[in-house]
Amino acid sequence: MTTVASRPAPALAERIANVPRPAPRLSTVVSYGVIIAILALGVWSFIGLDYSLKSLDTTGKNIARFLGMATPMQWPGWEVTGERLADGTTAYVTTWVGFEPIWEMFLTIVITLALVIAGTALAAVLSVPVAYGAARNTTPHALVLAVCRGIGVIARAVPDIVFVVIFAFLWFNSGTLPAIVAIGLHSVGMISKMFADAIEQIDEGPRLAIRSAGGSKAQEFWSGVVPQVLPAWVAVTLHRADINLRGTVILGVVGVVGIGYELDEALHGGPAGMRRVIPLVIIIIVLCVLFEIVSSLLRTRLLGVQPTGKGLGDTVARAVSRRQAGEADAGSTATIRTLDRNARIEAAMHRPWDRNRLGNTLWIWIGVLVVVAAFIYTAPDVTKMLAPSWNELVDPERDRAIWPPHFGSRSWADVMAAVVTTIQIAFAATLMGAIISAVVGPLSARNVAPNSWVRNFFRGVALVIRAIPDLVVAILFIIAAGIGPQAGALALGIGGVGLLAKLIGDSMEEVPNGPERALAAGGSTRTQVFFSSTMPMSVPAMVSHLMYLLEQNIRSATLLGIVGAGGIGFLLLNALQGRHFDEVLAYVLVIIGMVVLVESASILIRRALK
Amino acid sequence: MTNSDTLAVRIADLGKTYPGAKAPALTGVSLSVEPGEIVVLLGLSGSGKSTLLRHVNGLEAPTAGTVTSLGEEVAALRGRDLRGLRGRIGFIFQQFELVGALTVLENVLTGGLSSLRGPRVGIFTYPRAMREKALGHLDRVGLLEFAYQRADQLSGGQQQRVAIARALMQDPEILLADEPVASLDPESSGQVMSLIREIAAERSLTVICSLHQVDLALSWGDRIVGLRGGEVVLDTRTEGLSREQVMEIYGRVATTTGEIEALEEELAEAREQIREREAERTAARERLAEDFANEEPA
Repeated sequence: MTTVASRPAPALAERIANVPRPAPRLSTVVSYGVIIAILALGVWSFIGLDYSLKSLDTTGKNIARFLGMATPMQWPGWEVTGERLADGTTAYVTTWVGFEPIWEMFLTIVITLALVIAGTALAAVLSVPVAYGAARNTTPHALVLAVCRGIGVIARAVPDIVFVVIFAFLWFNSGTLPAIVAIGLHSVGMISKMFADAIEQIDEGPRLAIRSAGGSKAQEFWSGVVPQVLPAWVAVTLHRADINLRGTVILGVVGVVGIGYELDEALHGGPAGMRRVIPLVIIIIVLCVLFEIVSSLLRTRLLGVQPTGKGLGDTVARAVSRRQAGEADAGSTATIRTLDRNARIEAAMHRPWDRNRLGNTLWIWIGVLVVVAAFIYTAPDVTKMLAPSWNELVDPERDRAIWPPHFGSRSWADVMAAVVTTIQIAFAATLMGAIISAVVGPLSARNVAPNSWVRNFFRGVALVIRAIPDLVVAILFIIAAGIGPQAGALALGIGGVGLLAKLIGDSMEEVPNGPERALAAGGSTRTQVFFSSTMPMSVPAMVSHLMYLLEQNIRSATLLGIVGAGGIGFLLLNALQGRHFDEVLAYVLVIIGMVVLVESASILIRRALK
Repeated sequence: MTNSDTLAVRIADLGKTYPGAKAPALTGVSLSVEPGEIVVLLGLSGSGKSTLLRHVNGLEAPTAGTVTSLGEEVAALRGRDLRGLRGRIGFIFQQFELVGALTVLENVLTGGLSSLRGPRVGIFTYPRAMREKALGHLDRVGLLEFAYQRADQLSGGQQQRVAIARALMQDPEILLADEPVASLDPESSGQVMSLIREIAAERSLTVICSLHQVDLALSWGDRIVGLRGGEVVLDTRTEGLSREQVMEIYGRVATTTGEIEALEEELAEAREQIREREAERTAARERLAEDFANEEPA
C-alpha cells in the first residue's frame, strides 16, 4: 500500500518555513483591489460632497418645508384653494371641479406612452443594421465592426435630452419629432448592443446549413440568424420601452410634452403647482410600475418563455404564468393519415388556425397596431426633416454653431470640478448602495438568512426599492431635500440597493452548497459558515455586480445633474437652455470620455475576474 | 443495551421517510459500533447509506427510532450542543466540498471553527497554535507544499486529502466518510483509503465509511454492513470472509428486487442530472436576462 507521507524529511518547522507561497491570482488581486478602491473613493466622495450633521439638518428642514408647500395635495379633478385667516394661518378648501382635468391627465399619459412607444419602435428598427455590423459573426468587415460598436457607445453615452434640444432646433416647430428621434437614437445604443450580443451567441449550425445550400449573406441572416434572435430582440425592445418611460420624466425639463413636462411645470408653478407635485409623482410611479408589468406579461406571452428578469414586472409575470402552467394546451396535430398522399399534402398546405397560431397572430397584429397608432397619435411633422436649419449649426461664424466645441465662459478647471462632482455623486452612491446591500443582499439569500421570514422580508425590501423608478425618486428627493449633490447621491444610493441587493442575494444562492454543508457538519455556526464559505465563494460575482452599479450610477449622476444635483449635467443643462451648441458639444464630449473610461475599466476588470 | 454509554454509535430501530417521498429511505435500522471499529456501509446508490451516515451527526432528523452518538441522543440536541457533538465527529464527502476560492490552509482551518467563537476571515484571524496544527495535518496528508494555493487548483485526490486534514482539525472521535473515493481515479482512491486507515489507527478513530465496491469494502473494512432499500441485510466481520461469500450475499441483494431498484435508481440519477443541466441552462439564461435588466436606464 502506498503511504502518502512517509518520506524522511527535515523537521516540520523547517519544512513549514519553506512552503512555497504562490503569487495571488490576478482575479483575486483585482477583486480586492476593486473593493478597496470603491471603498476609498466612496469615502473620498463623501468627504468631497460635504456630508455633515449640518447638511443633514438642512436636508431635514428642506424636506419639512417641501412637505409644507406640497400639502394638501391637489389631485386632478380637484382644486385646492387657500384662504388666509385672521390669525395668520391658512385654511385650505378642496373642491371638486369636474372630470375635465382627469381627462386631460389621461391624454397626457397617452401622449407620454405614445412617444415612448414610437421612439422605442424607431430604435428597434435602427438597431437591426447596427447590431448586424456590431456582431462579430455577422459583420462584413472589421472596420464596420468598429464603426457600429462606436455608434452604439456614443448613442449610449449621449443623453437623449441632448438629442432633443439639438433636433428641436434643427427642425423647428416639428411637434414631437425631435423627442421621437432622440429617444430612438439614444435607445439604439442599448438595443443594438444587446441584440449584437444575442447574435454572437446563436447556434452557427443553421447558418452554415443555409450557406452550404447556396444561400446568400442576406438569406443567411434572415433565415438563419433572425429566427434565433427574434425573442431577444423583442425582449430587449420591450425592456427598453420601460426605461424610456422613466426617461421621459427628464425630457420634460426641456419641454417634451407628456407627464414629465407636467411635473416640470408643477415644480415651477408656485404654491399652486407645488400642491400638484406629489400626486404627479405618484401617478408617474404607478404608471411606470404598471407599464413594467404589462411589458413583462407581453414578453412571456410573445416568447412563450418564463420571464427571468429581476424586476417587479417579471416577478408578477412569473406568478401569472405559474398559475396558468396547469392548463397546458394539448397538441392539435390532427391525424390525417387516412387520406391519400395528394389530399394529405393539400391539407397540409393550410396550417390549421389552432389556438397557438391564432394567439400569436393576434398579438403580433396588436403590437403593430399599437406602434402605428403611437406614430399617428404623436403626429410628428416629418416634412420638417427635409428642411433642417443646418447653416445655423455648422457655420462657425454663427452664434449657434456647434463647431468648434468650447466651454464658453468656463475654464477647464471649472469643468473638471463639475466632472469630479458627478463622479463623487456616483462613488458616494455606489458605496452607500454597497453598504446597505451588504446587509440586505445576504439576508435575502435562502442559504444565509436564518429563516424564511427574514429572507422574504429582505427580498420584499429589495423588490419594493426596485419597483420604484429610481430617477423619479431621485428627482423628488432633490426637490424635497434641496438642490445639490448630497441629495442626488443619497437618492441614487438608496435606489441602487434594489438592484445590488437582489444580485448579491442571487449570487449567494447560486454558490455551490457542498462546502457550506461540510462546514455545518463540522460544527460551525451559521455565521461562521457564511464568512468561511458563502462569502469567499461569491466575491467575484459581487465585484462584477458592484462594477455594474458604478457604471449605472455614473450615467444616472450625469442625468441627475440636469434636474439639479449639480456636476457636469448641470453645465450641460445650462448650455442646452442657452442653445449654446458649441458648449453642448464640448460637455457631451466630456461625458462620452467619462462613460467610455468607466466602461473600458469595467470591461477590463470583468475580463480579469474570469 | 447496558453498554450503550461505551458504544461510539448506537442506532436503534431507525426509520426515515423524507417529506413527500412515497417509500421510506430507512426502515428499522439497528446498528452498534464499538469505539475504534472500522465499519463499511455497503450498498448500491439509493440503498440508504448516505442517509444513515447523515443521521449519525444530526444532518438529518429521524422519523422513527433513535441515534446515539458518543453517548448523546442526536435528535434531542439543538444549537450549540448539536454543534458541539458535530465538532467531535468528522465528515468526509464524496465531492470533497472544499471552499475553492480559499487557500488550502484556510480550508483546513475551517475544520476548527467549532472550537472558536464567531466568524473568521483570512488565515491570520485563527490563533497561531491552530495554524501550526493545521500545517501539521497538511504535512500528515502529504500536502504541506500546497498550503498557500487555492483549493480549486488541486486534483481530486489532493482535495480529498485536504478534506481529511480539515476533518482532523476537529480532533474527531468518529470519522464518517460518505463514498470518499467515488469521484476519484483508482490510484488516488488507493491513497485516500489507505490514508484514512492509517489515520484511524494512529488516533484509534471509529470510522464509518460508505462504499459501493465489494472488493474495496472487503480489503479495507473490519466489518461490513450491507444495506438494501433502506434495510440492513448483512452485518458481518470481514475476517475470514471470502469474496465469493460476500458476492453471494451482495449478489442476492443486488439481483432480486435490488436489480429493479438499482435500475430505478439509475433512472432517478439520470433524471437528476437532466434537471441539474436544465437548472444550469436556466441560470445561464437568467444571466443573459440579467444583462438586459442591468443595462442602464439613461
